[in-house]
Formats: sequence, C-alpha cells, structure tokens
Amino acid sequence: MTPRRTIGILDYGVGNHASVWRALHNLGYRCRVSAEPEVLDATDLLVLPGVGAFAAAMEALRRHDLVEYLRAQSRAGKPIVGLCLGMQLLADESLEHGLTTGLGLIPGQVVPFEQARWHIGWNSIEVVGDDPMFRPYDGQSMYFNHSYVFDAPSEYQACLARLDTSFPVGVRRGNLVGLQFHPEKSQAAGAGLLKNIVEGLCG
Amino acid sequence: MIQKRLVGVVTAKDGWAVQSFGFGRYLPLGRPEILIENLGRWGADEILLQVIDKSRANAGPDMAMLERLGKLGLSTPLIYAGGIRSAAEAVAVVAAAADRVVVDALIRDNPSEVAKAGARLGNQALIGSLPLSLEDGEARWLDYRTGTSEPLTAEVLDLLASGTLSEALVIDWKHEGQPGGFDRALVAVLPQGVPVIAFGGLSEAAQLRQVLKAPQVAAVAVGNFLAYREHAIQELKADLFGVPLRPATYQRTNYA
Repeated sequence: MTPRRTIGILDYGVGNHASVWRALHNLGYRCRVSAEPEVLDATDLLVLPGVGAFAAAMEALRRHDLVEYLRAQSRAGKPIVGLCLGMQLLADESLEHGLTTGLGLIPGQVVPFEQARWHIGWNSIEVVGDDPMFRPYDGQSMYFNHSYVFDAPSEYQACLARLDTSFPVGVRRGNLVGLQFHPEKSQAAGAGLLKNIVEGLCG
Repeated sequence: MIQKRLVGVVTAKDGWAVQSFGFGRYLPLGRPEILIENLGRWGADEILLQVIDKSRANAGPDMAMLERLGKLGLSTPLIYAGGIRSAAEAVAVVAAAADRVVVDALIRDNPSEVAKAGARLGNQALIGSLPLSLEDGEARWLDYRTGTSEPLTAEVLDLLASGTLSEALVIDWKHEGQPGGFDRALVAVLPQGVPVIAFGGLSEAAQLRQVLKAPQVAAVAVGNFLAYREHAIQELKADLFGVPLRPATYQRTNYA
C-alpha cells in the first residue's frame, strides 16, 4: 500500500493557501501549512504558492527566514513545487518592478510577457519531451493569470503555452518543478496533473 | 491559444444570493456559497461574486463571506467585487479567497490606491467595473451609490490604457436581468486594446456568440440565466461550438 504522503505548503503571507490545501487534501494528501522549518522538515514535498509581485514575495520569504531554508532543501534533494509566482521565485532574478534576485534554484530570468500585456484565462499546455509527470496532460487547458514569464533555458522547460509563439509555463530541474498556471484552480485537469507531479517527485 | 471565458455571476445582497434586475429589483436565490460551488462544478471558466450592498454602505468587502468561500477551496478561479476601499482591502480579499478583484468606487474615490493594489497583487488581478449606458450616443458611467451618471473620466480611461486595470467589466446595467438585453455598442466605447468582460442582459447562445465575436471581448459574464438550469453552462458551450471557449466540463464532487 502506498504510504500517505505529507505535503508542506509554505505560508509566508502571500496569497491564499486554501485552494492549494483543498486541492491536495482532496487528492488524499496530508497537508501542513507553515513557515516553521521543523514542521516543513517533516513533510515529503514542499509547495511554494504565490500571488502578486515578485519583489514583495521575495521580501516576504526573507522575512520568514525561508530563502536559505529553501536553498538548503533543494540542495538536499527535497521535492519542491512552485505555483504561479512560486514558479517564478525559483528563477535567478526577475525584472518585475526593477531587478530582484530570486531563489536561484532553476537558471533563468523572469521577464515581461512580450506577446500581450497579460496572459489571463484558460490555455492549453504543450508538453516538452516524455516526462511521464507531464506527458498525460499534453493539450489540457489550465488557468493562467500572469504578466511576466520565466525565461528558462530549454533544457529545463517541461511544458509550454502558446499565443503567437510558445513560451515556458512549466519547468523542471531534478526534484524542482515550477508551474506558471494554477493547477489548484484548473478543475479536474489541474488536480490530475498535481497528483502526477507529487507522485512523480515522491515516488 | 488563450480561450475566451464564460463567467458565472453570483450577486449577493444582505448575505443572500439574489436575482437582480436593472440594479433595482431583487429576488432571493439562496446561499451564495452553494451557488458558487455549483458554478464551479458545472464548469464555469471563472466565477464572479458581486456583493452589491457593501459600497453603498461604505462597509468594506464582505470578509465573512470570503472566509467561508476560502474554506471551500474552490477549484475554479474566483473574482470578487464589492466594497473594496483600499489597496490593503484588495490584498485581504485575495488572501482570503479571491484570485482577482473588481474595483468600482475605488476608481472614483482614490485611483492611487488602485495603482497600489496593482503593485501588491500584480495588475492582472485588477478589473475595473464600468456600469455603462448610452445616452444620445454618449457613454455614461453610473455611480450606483448616487444613481447618477457621468461621461467616462480621463482617470478611468488612463487606468485602463496604462494597464493598471487588466480588464474592464462592462455592465449594461439598464438591461441587467433582461433576456437578450445587452447592448453590444457599449463594448465599442472603450479604447481599442482594452480587454472587456461583458455583463448584463446576456442570456442566449446566439447573442453570446455575437458579443464574443468582438476581438476585445475576452469574456462574457452571465448571472440570472444560469441560476435555474443545472446544465446551462454545458448547454451554452455546446451551442457556442466554434467560438474559442474551453470545452464544457463537469466536475465530480469530492466528499473529503
């Protein structure tokens, strides 16, 4: 029997965690919402949610002493999933409202979206390669709400979305995964992908 | 390709969901949380909760209702409208349950707070509410607190043109609740390139198709006409075949 996994949802005062908690809970996972290392240490996977501006979120992570914690967890191989702004925070830096240093866990820069002012609504994803965590969700629609994109090198791109041209909306580097869209707000397709990623990273 | 959206609207007054007619007559429907859960399960692309008694009373957003919605953990994106008086309140609304917020009175009363909210939440989270009518060919913007209308101001047009507001919720308030009533000419009064969510008197598929044809219409919002039919969203989407909308879905209920 598969052991019941425990997910640590980082609570650093940015955005709401209820939807992420509910989505994971409905998938059968035990969830801990916390900024305390001793609580987060006792989990199988960390989820870094986020809504809002990059600089404010990095400042909030610093205020909660989570920047070095996340870097150390990444070095130790702990699975980490960044959602929406949480994905962008994995990058080296962002140009949103000036230059701000990110967590530096996946190479790349967060840059203004050039093809449109916004990317708001439902768009289908195009999976890059054969990663079994993503592959079954090729062509599925997910919910997006952002105006900056993570310009990650192609070797880390896991899935793309498209307006005039394609751009990265999912990244992976080993046990680190970032999703630009909101799987927790993408109804059944998002929930299924989230489960695949948790099981893929923890399996 | 990004798809256009069908937004389900729940209007709340005095804590109850109501059917609204022309911003002036209301019929009770039940608990907002139940209607919102239903819209999510039926596959709405977004859900707009508009609480219509908060701005008039200068009472701030309905945080109690938002807390209840937060506990539901909706898997459909939620837009909240009603009573937001400051950037801090907009942030609190998002922290509680919403993915995006609609500002109305704040645009008139304190545009600098709208910009502050954008800096905190990202401008993609901000939508400007524009209850409009056409009088002698001129667009008039209703202040529902006073019941008076005025031409669109340079300030609101600047907030839209600059991208401080990501989308305009264009409400045909005179035809709200009236089947087939939405006046498509209202969409054209905004500058080109401003994405529009059309609302008010939208009901039938043929009419939605016409409105969605306009390049700047990113979404159509439907309230009363979804209230009494369980499969209304699926039926509308099926009838709108060929329009770039996300295909209809129907979610299973998870009893956790």
